[in-house]
Amino acid sequence: MRDKPEQLPVILFPGSRAGEATCWRPSVDIYRTRSGWLLKFDLAGVRLEDVDVEIEGCRVTVRGLRRDWLLEEGYSHYSMEIAYNRFERTIELPCKLAHPRLHLDYEHGILIIRLDTEEETR
Amino acid sequence: MSEAESVHLLPVLPLKNSVLFPYLLMPLAVGRPASLAAVESALGTEGKEILIVAQRDASMEAPGLEDLYRAGTRAIIKKMARPDEGRMELIVMGVERVALLKLEQSEPYLKARVRAWPLPDEQSAEVEALHRAVVDLAGKALSLAQAPTELGQFLASAEDPLRLVYLLAGMLSLELAKEQTLLEAESRSEALRLMHTYLAHEVQVLELRSKIASETQSEMSRQQREYVLRQQMRAIQQELGEKDPHQAEVDLLRERLAKLVLPEEVRKEADRELSRLEKLPPGAPDYQMIRTYLDFVVELPWSARTEDNLDIGRARQILDEDHFNLKDVKERILEHLGVLKLNPEAKAPILCFFGPPGVGKTSLGQSIARALGRKFERMSLGGLHDEAELRGHRRTYIGAMPGRIVQAVRRAGSCNPLIMLDEVDKLGQDFRGDPAAALLEILDPEQNKAFRDNYLDLPFDLSKVFFITTANALDTVPRPLLDRMEMLRLAGYSEEEKIEIAKRYLLSRQLRQAGLSAEQCLFLDESLHEIIFRYTREAGVRQLERGIGRVARKIALRHAEGDTTAVSVRAEDLIELLGTPLPAPEELRTELPPGVATGLAWTEAGGEVLYVEATLLPGGHDLTITGHIGEVMQESAKAARSYLWSHAQGLGIDTAVFKDSGIHVHVPAGAIPKDGPSAGVTMAAAMASLYMQARPRSDTAMTGEITLTGLVLPIGGVKEKILAARRAGIRRVILPKGNEMDLRDLPEKVRAETEFVFAERVEDVLVAAIPSLHERLGTIRAA
Repeated sequence: MRDKPEQLPVILFPGSRAGEATCWRPSVDIYRTRSGWLLKFDLAGVRLEDVDVEIEGCRVTVRGLRRDWLLEEGYSHYSMEIAYNRFERTIELPCKLAHPRLHLDYEHGILIIRLDTEEETR
Repeated sequence: MSEAESVHLLPVLPLKNSVLFPYLLMPLAVGRPASLAAVESALGTEGKEILIVAQRDASMEAPGLEDLYRAGTRAIIKKMARPDEGRMELIVMGVERVALLKLEQSEPYLKARVRAWPLPDEQSAEVEALHRAVVDLAGKALSLAQAPTELGQFLASAEDPLRLVYLLAGMLSLELAKEQTLLEAESRSEALRLMHTYLAHEVQVLELRSKIASETQSEMSRQQREYVLRQQMRAIQQELGEKDPHQAEVDLLRERLAKLVLPEEVRKEADRELSRLEKLPPGAPDYQMIRTYLDFVVELPWSARTEDNLDIGRARQILDEDHFNLKDVKERILEHLGVLKLNPEAKAPILCFFGPPGVGKTSLGQSIARALGRKFERMSLGGLHDEAELRGHRRTYIGAMPGRIVQAVRRAGSCNPLIMLDEVDKLGQDFRGDPAAALLEILDPEQNKAFRDNYLDLPFDLSKVFFITTANALDTVPRPLLDRMEMLRLAGYSEEEKIEIAKRYLLSRQLRQAGLSAEQCLFLDESLHEIIFRYTREAGVRQLERGIGRVARKIALRHAEGDTTAVSVRAEDLIELLGTPLPAPEELRTELPPGVATGLAWTEAGGEVLYVEATLLPGGHDLTITGHIGEVMQESAKAARSYLWSHAQGLGIDTAVFKDSGIHVHVPAGAIPKDGPSAGVTMAAAMASLYMQARPRSDTAMTGEITLTGLVLPIGGVKEKILAARRAGIRRVILPKGNEMDLRDLPEKVRAETEFVFAERVEDVLVAAIPSLHERLGTIRAA
């Protein structure tokens, strides 16, 4: 591949924002609820204390760290597909979040973020 | 970033030939034991971090700290697999640039302490400008590389110029040293500048590549197209039951060759070329060449010939019909006919007609061809300066052509045509060879039996060809060439001959061209005489014919305008029809002062009367000669003076006059170049009359060469000279005794009307030219 400059490298990094550039991006489902929004992040194996959630305007950013915790003496990887280390994901919601009430939950490896806003009766 | 966070202790994975840049993913194959151990160790940590650093020397299997560059990349192992025992495949992602601080462990794998080495934040206009330039250039490179357009948009969207630079670095195939330099860049602007240089080079290479690629592509597709079309054509022809045109062409040529009667050598060569042609594809460059050659060979009249008309009576009649007089030439042609009758295999003669323009050399050739019943081909050699024109180019040259001689034979379509080579005296000569030398072979009956044209490269028999060359003057024709030809002189015509020619040939021709009948326009002899005498000055009859033509057209105009009365053209009408007559440059001088004598000269256009003027220069010494005089003529002036000086006493001239005065000799018209020895007697007569102060006779013209001992030698061009004298109204001519025989060429009338004095010595000339000398000499003798 490196002999052929006109051919593109197959692997490009994901994300285009500078902060996300070297992190992995968890998958996310987004729901509309009666009272606002519900975001479901696929963050299996991540400790809640390693997660940081930030809300700014209409943007919700979840960043953190997935540490490999199954590290026992005498074990060695035969193959590895799960992404470790830093992750970051920013979701931009289509409306401004005025004074949201934030509720975090972590269940079965899924991080659930509820955002209750005041425009519930919309 | 705190100090603790920026310093890491990481296992080291040395990389051969490559640098991992931050923000980039890179697949890696790991096989070295130390590297495997380092990766294992990294995988055993929570964050899967590892240091990727390039090694300076790719051949080093177990590199130490000093073998590694000091800048590397902290990376995270994203994916890992073991395709087989002892090997690992990884996908790693560069996170940030780090500087190696210290090696903490070297066994079983390297472990190093590193510190993050971020580039300083920079937001200057320069960085902005460089950023845009790099984006532009990258776009260009991508479009040249025909990359998807999304990629370019993606690149342009990268906010941080550094990410753009790293991304491009991953895409370009840069050398290790360049990649490492880029990784170690001190600032964003430096990194951008480096990338700009690399990209510019890349664009250049890509441009060149695409140019080469498109050129080969178009060449390939053209050939391919042609091939496919040919195949299709062949298939269609087969379907239609037609023959391959290539094969048909070869068959046709073979058929034509078979019908010809060819010499053995020619047939062998032709067959050989034909089989070569058969094997060649029609697209081959040689194909057309061989085809043209074979066509030419087939078309040449190897054995085709016309039967000569051997009826001598008829031939004489034809020659007489076309040309007046010219007895010698006609006799020679009839002689040849006689010989052919007795010996059909006789070689054709090679004749050279020479004489002034307009005497009918070329038309005589045509009429000979008619009389013999041969094909006539004519070519002019005037200005020809390339030997290859006559002899052809060898076939190895592109655009080679057969020579003109062989082409003329082919045009004639018979192997015994009459070929006329006009203007043989006007052949050129330069570095491309001497065409006269080629003519030597062509015109030599001993050699031209097997003439080899360079193009044809086969012997062709030219010995049956009747060659006639023409020339105006012979002095520019090389001697060996003259030697090969039989010279036949066509001298100028006398007035009577011209009138006869006009009446027999020119009048009817010009009247026919003007659309008049002989009854509508009648030329009287006196008007023809007037045209010849007052409106033309020539040895031939071209101007005369033009003059008649002009008169005829004027009369035709009158007819066209409605005045249909028959006209007879009288001498006095000519001023109206032809305008003022030519001014005669040398009208007869009725009275000659001492020191002027009348000479006769020969020119290519016939004869001329010229006057030699001499005058004394008291107190001078030398002989001055003017009038555009050639060397020979100057020498004859000197000889004349010396003779007179040495024989002064016998001639009654005071020798003091030679000592006390110089002499100036001038020959008008001064602008016309003149040369030759024949003015010797005229010079002597002019000088003698000057020294004696005696008038020469004005009705006498003279010509002849003199020697220092006083002999008068014969000269050439007698007929033209005498005719010129007659034109000027001179009826008494002094000629060298040796030229007495030439008078036979003159028409009877001219001979009868002119008084000839034949001189053997200068004294004879002087006595005949200067009336008072006779008495003087008598006095001297008596004394």
